[in-house]
Amino acid sequence: MTKEEQLSIINDAIKQTKTNLKPLGYNLVFWGVVIISMSLFHYFFPEIVQYSYYSAVIYWVLIPVLGMFYTTYYNIKTGIKIGYETQLDRVIRIIWSVFGLAWIFTVGISLIYNVNPVQDILFLLGIVLVMSGLIIKFRNITIGGIGLLIFTVYTYYNPGINLLLVNVIGISFGMLVPGLSLYFQKSDNLQLRY
Amino acid sequence: MNKEIEKLLFNPIRLKTISFLMSVETCTFKALLEITDSTKGNLSIQLKKLNEGGLINIEKYFQKSYPTTDYSITNKGRKSFEEFYNQLMSFK
Repeated sequence: MTKEEQLSIINDAIKQTKTNLKPLGYNLVFWGVVIISMSLFHYFFPEIVQYSYYSAVIYWVLIPVLGMFYTTYYNIKTGIKIGYETQLDRVIRIIWSVFGLAWIFTVGISLIYNVNPVQDILFLLGIVLVMSGLIIKFRNITIGGIGLLIFTVYTYYNPGINLLLVNVIGISFGMLVPGLSLYFQKSDNLQLRY
Repeated sequence: MNKEIEKLLFNPIRLKTISFLMSVETCTFKALLEITDSTKGNLSIQLKKLNEGGLINIEKYFQKSYPTTDYSITNKGRKSFEEFYNQLMSFK
């Protein structure tokens, strides 16, 4: 084998390493649809969700936790199908896992102190979206995250605003729309090469 | 550079495997088969040699009752590849 052939083998192998971003798009769309549906249902049928204090707590904790189990299963299954994990995949996985833990912590604290966690969660989500968008170099997610952060700050100055509608607007523009644009991108543009 | 390591990386399948493992965290046997375009038997032999040379880790476990194997590069493997690559570039 000549030196040129060896270099060619190395380049070919590295070029085959691709980070498939479609699963991230799927995750964003899934959570966008779940949270928006839950918020709208709560907004239009408060008598069902707020039948008691515990019914609202169960509604906003149980369904997201079930969603977490489902997305974890989906991500493991997708990972097995792809057969390898790049460093970028690992970074994205860690960032979103930390967000999941932060969500559990924020919801726990809000239950103890009886405060609404929507703004804190949206703020955290905005930061995670900006980070993800910058890391994978996908402008729509970065813009969605920045928009969500600005919107969340705006809601802090308007305490009378309905937080369920805040959820719907914030998640739609911060998560659902960027997630859809990522999911429906042509597959060639979705694979970051090293 | 260590002659043993240089000899190990002189094989195209072993070189391709190490190059690929440099840019991923972990990788399955099936993915390596696709990347190296090799046969199962040949790839197994080359992976065993890389493992014996301390360049890669092999982790075997069961997933839904099926035996699965994950491959990853070791620190020694990473260092050796970098030295090998720099040496190649210096000849260019």
